Amino acid sequence: MSPSESKSTPAAAPAIKQNPLTLIMTVKSPADFAALSAMLNKFLSMPRDKNPIDVALDKLAKVHFARFVFMDNNTKLAVITSYDDSFEDYINDFIDAIGDIFNALLAHMADAPALPVQKNRAAFLDYVRKNDLRCLGTFYSAYPTLGVKTILAQAADAE
Amino acid sequence: MPLDLADIQGVVLRSYKMPFLRTLILRIDDAARVKTLLASLPVRTAECWDAKPEYCLNIGLTADGLKALRIPDETLNSFPPEFLLGAAGRAAAVGDTGVNDPANWIDPFRSTQVHILLSLTGQSHEILETVTAQIRSACSGAATEVFCRDGYAPADHRAHFGFVDGISQPRVAGVPAQKQDTPEFSDPMDLVPPGAFVLGYESAHPGHFYPMPAPDALGRNGSFAAFRILQQDCFGFENFLDDAAKQTGLDRELIAAKLVGRWRSGVPLSLASEATQQAAVPFDQWNHFDHSDDPAGRKCPLGSHIRRTNPRRSAVAGSGGETHRIMRRGLPYGAPYDPQNPQDGIERGLLGLFICGDLRDQFEFLMKDWVNDGDFAGLGADKDPILGNQPAPGGRFRIPGPTKPQTVVRGMGTFITTRAGAYFFLPSITALRYLAGLPG
Repeated sequence: MSPSESKSTPAAAPAIKQNPLTLIMTVKSPADFAALSAMLNKFLSMPRDKNPIDVALDKLAKVHFARFVFMDNNTKLAVITSYDDSFEDYINDFIDAIGDIFNALLAHMADAPALPVQKNRAAFLDYVRKNDLRCLGTFYSAYPTLGVKTILAQAADAE
Repeated sequence: MPLDLADIQGVVLRSYKMPFLRTLILRIDDAARVKTLLASLPVRTAECWDAKPEYCLNIGLTADGLKALRIPDETLNSFPPEFLLGAAGRAAAVGDTGVNDPANWIDPFRSTQVHILLSLTGQSHEILETVTAQIRSACSGAATEVFCRDGYAPADHRAHFGFVDGISQPRVAGVPAQKQDTPEFSDPMDLVPPGAFVLGYESAHPGHFYPMPAPDALGRNGSFAAFRILQQDCFGFENFLDDAAKQTGLDRELIAAKLVGRWRSGVPLSLASEATQQAAVPFDQWNHFDHSDDPAGRKCPLGSHIRRTNPRRSAVAGSGGETHRIMRRGLPYGAPYDPQNPQDGIERGLLGLFICGDLRDQFEFLMKDWVNDGDFAGLGADKDPILGNQPAPGGRFRIPGPTKPQTVVRGMGTFITTRAGAYFFLPSITALRYLAGLPG
């Protein structure tokens, strides 16, 4: 969600279409790190049409870039993305598409929300709000008005 | 869990198919008397009827109305934030800015006096008058009527822009067909889970039940609705068709069909790309398409009104075009547009009630992301050509042809203006009794 949004008065469409997510999750234990690392490396080594993360993000068409980074001696996992529009507006779509991935990740996190996220959507949203570092100042975009679907459509037209 | 049709207001799940509509708005003056009154009114439920009644009455309450009934703060605060903020408070989220800004709305919708909606539909104008007189008598001294407007079903089912309307609605799982209804249109889309429209049941998002006000007796089997008075500029719309025909060299009726996604006859472009093909499409097939055979919008443009407000199986951003459906109720108001007397000074438009289980996930999502933005379909900032609040220089509309390049129409005005809005809770029959039993 964008920094300007609050719980009770969600904002209208942002001036910059894209927003940053810097989600920092705390890993339960070294054993959980090992399990997470194995799972993510397995997914990320799959071809795009088999990688469940890529398949879900392709369907969503709201995320420009996404990456996973282990931090602080593998005690934390960062999910860093640039996405379009309001995370809160698309929370149900997001969970529909990629909820099972987050169920798998959050099973290894300390202070995880109630699972599965499909049945605990408000708790998941609160967890993301609480653990999203957002960014300092304003978010830079080279193409502030363009969303994923429009970029893909323009690229297809240019071919 | 089977739907409790006897506890759910009929307007949520049923199209009554009645030709006359009266919308009454009441302000609560005496909370105790109104609570009793609400529980005693003959509210039409979603049960099947043995014989079509003469009229149907349904009730909605705003957040201001619930406050006026003096329900406990804890109960009031269990409602979703967007409902508590109301339509005016959420204006920016749905494109009610500029000419649509609540500051320009008609009375009493700029005030906090919009408490109760009584939606009365009837088989004749006379029965509306009879029932209205009974309601006015019952309300005397307890509530004040602050607004009344009538709508009607045009004889040829054509709404003010000249298009046959009311063809497509979500079909809800677990709702038996009404007796004596006309046969349904053939529809390849899946049934919509009842929780998309009724609280307490699973929504179209797997595993998700929309947040329900507490306690259970108040929230379960209720729904939410966005009431809108939408003024239509028929003269502006027809003039734009002339201008667009000059811009593009295309036939103005083809452009009209491309903007809407259906010919004015109601036949969808998806089944009749050419005007001459309309007659060959049987009436019961007018909903038998899902856009999956038309990913580039060469038959039905991606930005057309019906494809934006109901993308069906189009490849849109998000989890799909079937997860943010709304139920549309309403009828036109104001005299029909006469092309021979185009500037008659008569206001005309739609009295609309857009029903959902979650205002934010359905009505607001649709208005914000599908009507007043275009990125969900790869269309940049283009807006709905019929319902969109267009930018000052005029909006843009793209008409993909059989092959590249596409035709682009520019200078499109705002043809529909929001004249009023209000968010209502449509309580169950149990909830009406619960409210009547609250102390004070």
